[in-house]
Amino acid sequence: MPEAAGAVPLDWLDLVVATALVLVAGLVSLALQVRVEGKLALAAVRTVVQLLLVGYVLHWVFRIDRPLVLFGIIAIMIGAAARAAVARSGRTFPGAHAGAFGTLVITACATTFVVTGLVIGVDPWYRPQYVIPLLGMVLGNGLTGISLCLDQMLESLSDRRARVEMELALGATRWEAVREPLADAVRRGMIPILNSMAVVGIVSLPGMMTGQILQGADPIEAVKYQIVVMFMIAAATSAGCMLVALWVYRRLFNDRHQLLSDRVRKR
Amino acid sequence: MALFEVRDLAVSAGGVPLLAGVGLALEPGEAVGVVGPSGSGKTTLLRALALLSDPVRGEVTLRGRGPADWGYPEWRRRVSLVAQRPELLDDTVRQNLARPFGYRTSLGAFPEERAKRALAELGLDDRLDQAAPTLSEGQQQRVSLVRALLVEPDVLLLDEPTSALDARAVRAVEALVTRDVSERGAAALVVTHDAEQAERWCDRVVDLARFAAGEGGRA
Repeated sequence: MPEAAGAVPLDWLDLVVATALVLVAGLVSLALQVRVEGKLALAAVRTVVQLLLVGYVLHWVFRIDRPLVLFGIIAIMIGAAARAAVARSGRTFPGAHAGAFGTLVITACATTFVVTGLVIGVDPWYRPQYVIPLLGMVLGNGLTGISLCLDQMLESLSDRRARVEMELALGATRWEAVREPLADAVRRGMIPILNSMAVVGIVSLPGMMTGQILQGADPIEAVKYQIVVMFMIAAATSAGCMLVALWVYRRLFNDRHQLLSDRVRKR
Repeated sequence: MALFEVRDLAVSAGGVPLLAGVGLALEPGEAVGVVGPSGSGKTTLLRALALLSDPVRGEVTLRGRGPADWGYPEWRRRVSLVAQRPELLDDTVRQNLARPFGYRTSLGAFPEERAKRALAELGLDDRLDQAAPTLSEGQQQRVSLVRALLVEPDVLLLDEPTSALDARAVRAVEALVTRDVSERGAAALVVTHDAEQAERWCDRVVDLARFAAGEGGRA
């Protein structure tokens, strides 16, 4: 990080003042009988508890200098992301978790370590202070893309299986029959990251960049980091969508070029 | 040797046995009707013959060779199923008809003249450039039949091919299919709920009640 003036440290009183902001929102909800005050209170408490927990965890993680422990944490993060990716999709099939997990291991780790090792040049390349936040961003975006892609792919191969079987019935190979649904699914998974790349800096400032600027970093330096992160997320998401779509393809067609749509289950 | 042979075939749907011991032989130029009450396994049988799903047991051969010998995509081009509900791409009629000619299994270029003649014969003159989704269901059903005819299958598996058609169009479809299979030495297996149509159109009729599995059946 370039010479940062450093953020103004917050004391607990500052947090109390911030809490007042949420309280005002709750009071407005009460006055207008919108009835979100309960949910808002719960969400506020969760925010505090979860962030404090993660703060303490990170405090501990950043001191880790044994790669094995770090890789254990990475595996837990990826496992959680894979679960979330599959759970968010409206349909599932046997092997969905394994596919999502494998996909995220390959794509998220590859992009994160390329960035820490080659782009930023962190020494050592697995330094937790860099690896964990970068991996977190890649996983957060990657799992959204993967779950959208998975959902679309499984819908094409179950609810809209007649379309695929029409092509098979005319002599298409399984690949010829799946090519278009697969491309649609990958495109679907890419929509969120493509949208955010299109408006970044115009409609919104990304959280990481905002954070760096609040820390007193030179905006140009913050922007460089943000570009690296956006590209990293885009690469991981597109590769992740393609891999997971290919995985579905492998699992839902057999060597006899039959579509096994009864393996797909709605939740 | 028969063109297409089915020996001791059994099919089930969702684990429920529907048909067992199905035996059938199609000769070149023949149109054979398949009748049976709804739920008797007519569609399941056609799907199994096209190998879109596996039969429980049994053997199917085309010109003495099994699906594995032909290769499954090639088998399905040669034993082509036309589903009851037409499934067309969101594109022009031409693109729909040309679709199979982009596959590895297909031979040669899209035969546009033949396509035009077949469409005209079914009352769909000058429809090549129309967007398929704007056609009526009956028109879509005919386009989907023409699409299958153009890949020149040895066996046409037709699942209620005239269910959405008026009387004139029904006769046109029957005439086109009959002529196509007799000219090419192919065969057609026509599933219909209409026994009268089966008698009129087909050289012979198979009643699936004979092959019902489970209670009352022979299995």
